[in-house]
Amino acid sequence: MSSLSYLVSRLLQIIPTFLLVMVVIFLLVRMLPGDPAIAMADAKATEAQLELIRQKLGLNEPLVMQFFYFVKNTLSGDMGTSILLKAPVLDVIIERIPVTAFLTLYAVCLSILIAGPLAFVAALNKNRGLDIAIRSGFQVGLSTPVFYIGLLLLTFLAASLRLFPVGGYGTTFLQHLHHLMLPALTVALYTSAIIMRNLRSAVIEVLDADYVQFARSKGLSRSVILGRHVLRNALISTVTLLGLSIGNLMSGTLVTETVFAVPGLGRLMLEAIFARDYPLIQGLTLTFAVMVSLVFLFTDMVQAWLDPRLRLS
Amino acid sequence: MKTLLIAALAGVSMLAINSAQAVERGGTLTFARYDDSNLVDPVYADRNPDIWMVTNLYDTLLRTKADGKTIVPGLASGYEVSADGKTISITLRDGIKFSDGSAITPADVKFSLERATNPDFGPWSGLLGSVESITATDNGVTLAMKNPDPTIISILATFNTAIVSKAAFEAAPGANDQEKATALFASGTPVSGPFTLKDRTRGSTMTFSANPHYWRQGEDGKPLPYLDEVSFVVIPDDATRILKLQAGEVNGAEFVPFSRVAELKADPAINMELYPSTRIIYSPINSRETRADGSPNPMATKEARQALNYAINKDALVQLITHGTGKSMTSPLMASTTQLAHDGGPLYPYDVAKAKELAAASGLEGAEITLTTLAGSSDDATLFAAIQQMWGAIGVNVKVEQVDNPTRGAKNRSGEFDIHTYGWVNDVNDPAQVAGWLGYYPTRKAVGTGWNNAEFNSLFEASNTEIDPEKRSEQYKRMQEIYADAAPLLFLYETPFAVALSANVNGYLQTPLGNNEFSSAWIAK
Repeated sequence: MSSLSYLVSRLLQIIPTFLLVMVVIFLLVRMLPGDPAIAMADAKATEAQLELIRQKLGLNEPLVMQFFYFVKNTLSGDMGTSILLKAPVLDVIIERIPVTAFLTLYAVCLSILIAGPLAFVAALNKNRGLDIAIRSGFQVGLSTPVFYIGLLLLTFLAASLRLFPVGGYGTTFLQHLHHLMLPALTVALYTSAIIMRNLRSAVIEVLDADYVQFARSKGLSRSVILGRHVLRNALISTVTLLGLSIGNLMSGTLVTETVFAVPGLGRLMLEAIFARDYPLIQGLTLTFAVMVSLVFLFTDMVQAWLDPRLRLS
Repeated sequence: MKTLLIAALAGVSMLAINSAQAVERGGTLTFARYDDSNLVDPVYADRNPDIWMVTNLYDTLLRTKADGKTIVPGLASGYEVSADGKTISITLRDGIKFSDGSAITPADVKFSLERATNPDFGPWSGLLGSVESITATDNGVTLAMKNPDPTIISILATFNTAIVSKAAFEAAPGANDQEKATALFASGTPVSGPFTLKDRTRGSTMTFSANPHYWRQGEDGKPLPYLDEVSFVVIPDDATRILKLQAGEVNGAEFVPFSRVAELKADPAINMELYPSTRIIYSPINSRETRADGSPNPMATKEARQALNYAINKDALVQLITHGTGKSMTSPLMASTTQLAHDGGPLYPYDVAKAKELAAASGLEGAEITLTTLAGSSDDATLFAAIQQMWGAIGVNVKVEQVDNPTRGAKNRSGEFDIHTYGWVNDVNDPAQVAGWLGYYPTRKAVGTGWNNAEFNSLFEASNTEIDPEKRSEQYKRMQEIYADAAPLLFLYETPFAVALSANVNGYLQTPLGNNEFSSAWIAK
């Protein structure tokens, strides 16, 4: 199978996923307890005002019709108007996608930068002091709540040492890098702990593999063995893990974006859920679904590149 | 002696001069908010982050002084109410202009007030329900009233009657009024208030610039505002907002949690302000004969509800939850900062013996009451844990259920609850809004309690057309007596608005209604 047809077949697989996601979101939002009209309106709202909101949202229509309109409008690019923000859902999401994409990508880069070298060091020093120290360090990162790590970073690195701004996003690329350093690091600490563990055991496994032994007996230099044989093979499972943890990373942004006042999709999602803003929740969940699907696709492509067997099968 | 006196006089006059000269102009004040404004427009503002910003951009005909009670002239230099209360003549101030330099005319006022009375626009039109028609005159407008309305003067000092530019609305793109209002908010329309909207990034920042044509004079005899700009950043997390202030990145942070007040007060670089508010925290008690499931309701009698009130140590709650910054409610129907609040001293002071007696007499002993708490609210958790303990003393068993905000709202509306908490802040500088909310059955079943008292209801209706201030005050006094005695609420406490400012910020005010007032704020350099 050629690379192109592989890509096309993977793209086509996204369509049923996408449809399933639409059904699930639609039903999930409607299963949330509490009347959305009451949630959206002020407690002071009269019955007539509540009725107006129900009409606006089409909540009085039968469920099947509501779903039909939802699919029809979404496919034509109309995700409705956010009750909370009084603006078209699509506009709001488009404004915020770059922020969350930036943050997530930044966090992935940091995770790799942190986890990669340390995993190698740990694997090469298997069960020695250095290995144990690295693993224990990450264990602490893994077991501490994200918001708490965030607040600690903010308190020490931003408020006390003034190395970074306390929250916000900035306006230029360099400002984004500066502003998002702490939130990205917060998310990265958690993700890198998972990646480090996986990469470490993968490296250990590969180091024992026959082809590595063979390469050694051929007299290849240590750096060539590590770079060409160990890294490439150990990365296959790690890339899968990184792709899978993108969902985690994005759900992490719900908390991180709130703590760090980053105007991204995660914070918006939280606000939308609290306000029971149906159109906004639906739009955001779809966006997240698309983003995760695309990341999975990208992961598959990288994997296929790393492991030619996948392309041929 | 004489020299001393002269020296003292000189000192006093120096002080006077100093305070007059003290105001410094210019600069940008950066303010960290808990939430963003989505649409700052007089008639569509429906959430506090919108409502509380309106009067920075749009001025009202009349204004409320900082005490939250006294009404003074605004864009109108004066008004006259006819003897029968059915005609109100408003005279506009001379030479007032919008921020683009165009004159504010009677036609703009008529347009603005007609928008405010239109029931299709926004939730506030009911506040002007007594207005029959609005006519523009040479130098103002005349309101013809369906009936005399004692609240109308307060309403003319309320955000929803603020003045917008008719020409700007007519020229704005949009198929309907709300789309036009949204377009104008996005583009920074000509405004009548002390500031204009300079720019805004939804969800994160907003900047106000000084309106060069604003009419009100500052202490230095020049027009307000003193500041060049106010720059807002949206930081939803309480701890981050405070860190931002401590790091010197902003000059102010609103909604400081009460647990942090003492710490910030001790910081010399920070001026921790507690502004008196109309905010009350209370708990509606289901007062119906039966519960929603048809079973007998142990809280149906007033004696039972009085027992529950007497058994609560409110001073302890004020310490526990507001860290001493709040105070027990003294008027049953409203905060003490509200007009016509009748301060009858502490309501149901802690008295376990009396509570036991009433509980025994009303058959409350041994009853099981469910407290509906807001999931994730530490205030609710603390409050109800304390109440659970306090009510143990009178033999009431407490069950706690956790729900989210929309579910709590739905339960309040359907009556499927025993007791839950609610908070309230007045939007209007008149007690009719809060009294209607808490006590008048037709509004919302007396805040969902189902309490329905004929005398209270008719007093409330009468007070809404009573233009004799003394008689109205008497009516309010009586309503408060009835309400206190019937106790359809757990009367809990009032809380201030806690705002932390850097030490060089002066003149900022959050009014008792919650409005953020930046017009007289200035920064010492």
